[in-house]
Amino acid sequence: MAALLEVRRVTKRFGGLTALSRVELELEEGRIASIIGPNGAGKTTLFNILTGIYPPEAGTVSFRGRSVLGLTPDQITALGVCRTFQNIRLFANMTAVENILVGMHSRVPLGLWHVLSRDPKFHREESRLWDRAAELLDVVGLRGKANELARNLPYGDQRRLEVARALASAPTLLLLDEPTAGMTQGEARGLMALLRRLIAEHGLTILLIEHNMRVVMEVSDRVTVLDYGEKIAEGHPTEVQKNPRVVEAYLGRKKWGQAPGPEHA
Amino acid sequence: MDLPLLLGILPEVILDGLILGFMYALIALGYTMVYGVLEFINFAHSEIFVVGAFVGVEILLALKAREWLDVLSPFLVLLLLLAAGMAVSGLLAVTVERVAYRPLRGKPRLIPFISAIGVSFFLQDAIRLFESLWRNAFNLVYPAMDQLNRRFTLTETIDVSVKSLVVILAALVMLWTLHLLVNRTKLGKAIRAVAEDQATASLMGINVNRMISLTFLIGGAMGGAAGVLFGIQYSLINPYTGFVPGIKAFTAAVLGGIGNIPGAMVGGLVLGLLETFAASYFSLLTHGAFGSEYKDIFAFSVLILILIFRPKGLLGEVVRERT
Amino acid sequence: MSARAFPATLIQRPVPAAITVMAVIALSSYSVAHFPRSIVAFMLFQASILLLYFSGVTPWLKAILAVLTLGLLMPILGTINGFYLEVAIQVGIFVALALGLNIVVGLAGLLDLGYVAFYAVGAYTWAIFGSPQANRFISETTAQFPLPPEWFFVFLLLGVLTGAMTGILLGIPVLRLRGDYLAIVTLGFGEVIRVLANNLDKPINLTNGPKGITPIQRPPLFFRPVLNLMGIEASPVTLYPLYFYFLVLFIVGVVILVNRRLENSHIGRAWEAIREDEVAAQAMGVPLVRMKLLAFACGASFAGVMGIVFSAKQVFINPESFTFLESIGVLSMVILGGMGSIPGAILGASVVTILNLQVLKGLSLWLNELRNAGVTILGYNLADLPSQFEPAKYERMIFGIILVLMVILRPQGIIPSRRRTRELREK
Repeated sequence: MAALLEVRRVTKRFGGLTALSRVELELEEGRIASIIGPNGAGKTTLFNILTGIYPPEAGTVSFRGRSVLGLTPDQITALGVCRTFQNIRLFANMTAVENILVGMHSRVPLGLWHVLSRDPKFHREESRLWDRAAELLDVVGLRGKANELARNLPYGDQRRLEVARALASAPTLLLLDEPTAGMTQGEARGLMALLRRLIAEHGLTILLIEHNMRVVMEVSDRVTVLDYGEKIAEGHPTEVQKNPRVVEAYLGRKKWGQAPGPEHA
Repeated sequence: MDLPLLLGILPEVILDGLILGFMYALIALGYTMVYGVLEFINFAHSEIFVVGAFVGVEILLALKAREWLDVLSPFLVLLLLLAAGMAVSGLLAVTVERVAYRPLRGKPRLIPFISAIGVSFFLQDAIRLFESLWRNAFNLVYPAMDQLNRRFTLTETIDVSVKSLVVILAALVMLWTLHLLVNRTKLGKAIRAVAEDQATASLMGINVNRMISLTFLIGGAMGGAAGVLFGIQYSLINPYTGFVPGIKAFTAAVLGGIGNIPGAMVGGLVLGLLETFAASYFSLLTHGAFGSEYKDIFAFSVLILILIFRPKGLLGEVVRERT
Repeated sequence: MSARAFPATLIQRPVPAAITVMAVIALSSYSVAHFPRSIVAFMLFQASILLLYFSGVTPWLKAILAVLTLGLLMPILGTINGFYLEVAIQVGIFVALALGLNIVVGLAGLLDLGYVAFYAVGAYTWAIFGSPQANRFISETTAQFPLPPEWFFVFLLLGVLTGAMTGILLGIPVLRLRGDYLAIVTLGFGEVIRVLANNLDKPINLTNGPKGITPIQRPPLFFRPVLNLMGIEASPVTLYPLYFYFLVLFIVGVVILVNRRLENSHIGRAWEAIREDEVAAQAMGVPLVRMKLLAFACGASFAGVMGIVFSAKQVFINPESFTFLESIGVLSMVILGGMGSIPGAILGASVVTILNLQVLKGLSLWLNELRNAGVTILGYNLADLPSQFEPAKYERMIFGIILVLMVILRPQGIIPSRRRTRELREK
């Protein structure tokens, strides 16, 4: 069976800096894969390419056997790829439930005419959207906070709301950029349990950028390690952990938290 | 087509284009410097420019009333006008920043921009109010200075008025001084540092607010000088004179690459020449079907096209895209 | 209950509020009827409508009172003093324009500084075909124009279409620009439209240049037979202002309805999301360009239709009505009321229009009277006041002050957009 997502020889440069160099990645349906690597390794850059925020200089990206290069982010979302952001980008002055409703935009089968005429279809669809939004809030444990402004939610809730908003677009592939950053170990575990449940129940596929090694090792089927824009290792979490290049990248040169790359700019 | 006629007016067209171009360049500096530092379009700059023109006319009228205008050397008068126009406009620009822009720093881009539009409109009517109460007239005419209006012939077909040369010369001197100030002095270096990265500059011990004020002071002073020269060159001014030259100077700044000081000069000259060419030849080439009224459309079209197709401008913008 | 809270209760609790509001409306209407030339009385009447909006009167009663005040009292007062009806019509036109711009600026967050261009396009559409103007470039000899008055209604729809199409035509190239550049390009576009209107009297005479176009057809008085049957004999002079008043009122009603329906739908939510964070909105599946175009088209169509009404009402139009000043005027209405807020846009448009039409003009008249009478204030003889000083001419200053003060002191506007128009009711 062909992989759900295939990334081939993707290269991205920012001025003189090579953020990604001939990166390869393959992901099968129903799996959780993680991308790890020191800050500035090019992880978020890869996400931005997968979601159409900017194009790579070279290489191909295909989803379900179809190239997504040249599509706009919203078209890619409509195909079934949705993401969260490392530095939470909720619609701060909209409520939690409205954030989720925006996430459903690509699945709303209503035209201008339905909106203006308020025909039965509009009412039917609108109430379906709101029901679904309520469900999603429940799923991520934000029941009771539906009408809070996103900016007033505590940090952990904001992260969960971002996941719910991404889920709202009914994706096949969910890209999560450091979803547990800033969470306590307990919260992080809760979120991971949720992700596993989503995979089991909805046949979701997840690609994860994560710094929390315990989370990575627990949930991932496969781990890809990036360093300076290059893939230095890939495989089962236990194999990767033992890989000397990975150990060097993480421990030998001790560059955690240093030299932020373009993804932080 | 009447080629000799077209060629015959060419030198004059070029000269007019240069004068207009230098005027645009001087005004454009105010836009470009502020944009370079704050990434903000100071929409009120056109009124800073007009205030300069009004300071000039007030001084001239005062001198004339005392019958000193014929006694004093015209160049001394010119220096006086420039100094006063620059001082008033520069200080006004600093005040405007302090009152209407600084409280909005850090807000989304459009918020200070809306404030700037408000300031622009307010100043237009403030000038009108002042002049209406003071002179009971707000359409004013620069009193003629005979020695500046004298013309001399270069060749058989071209003659130049002294004031045209003076305008060009004054503009050149000011542009050169500014260039030196920004690139060769410590103060200039500090301004550039603030433009590059405010947070880091302030960590390096640079007083960011003071540098921003200085930017407005310099930009405003250039605008004021342009106002005085505008008055001397074109004579007629009113409180609303600034709008069109303001938009065009902004076009010039974008054309040259916003945030880029030499770019503002190049953009100003290119736009001034293009516009004068269009105004002079459009009617001739279309046999009167379209006249020089379209010169404004021409400038606006340049603005629209450059923003859509090459927003970096000719020389490239100096603004870093912050995400 | 403390004494302090007493006045507040008067307008907050339903029953006392109903009594207070009705009393104020009755009193102010009476004073307008009694002092038909007093601007203060009319402003009191206008304020009573505002009071009605803010009061805690039960919604159904509020609706009835609103219909009575706007549908009955206002026209009656307007026949007593025609100027008031003119003010009301102008307010209505600007309310529609402000609501249109509110979609673009307030909801979608795109600063359009050339908004009046769409209004101009609408106005010229009817002006050209609803007057003999079109003969000059279509059929010099047969003189088919002006179109019969009935066509006005067709053109109302055409106004929506031409407005929307101009919006899309302008939108396609500019919507990728960043915010401040977009603003400047729209400004340039607005100026281009005005200069074109000013100069397209040659080589082909489309717009008749600065001289403007006149006479423009007014809509047909199709209801006249009905009035005659009822025994009412009214001349067009009295009928037309009332006619336009109700026409504008109706269109404003439709515009408000459309606005509210858009706002409370996936389209409105997408616009808000774009305003909040473009990148995130697009990543969540909101098609940026399409939604921005839709915002432009909607805003422009309101302006287009009002342009048609304006040209018919004025009978004469020229490019002077469509300057940058007008665009900024509408912008200051939106900012004053509160970006993204429908009641805000309505209030903003009313306040600014009333300020310009009534207060400043009234001040000018009053000052002139004092000046002519040679009144002395604090030892200063007003007759010495320079003749060039006319408060009526200081619209720009008003707009400027509104814009600066509002963004600095109260950026959310007088009536901030009410968030969470619909809340999720949790089971």
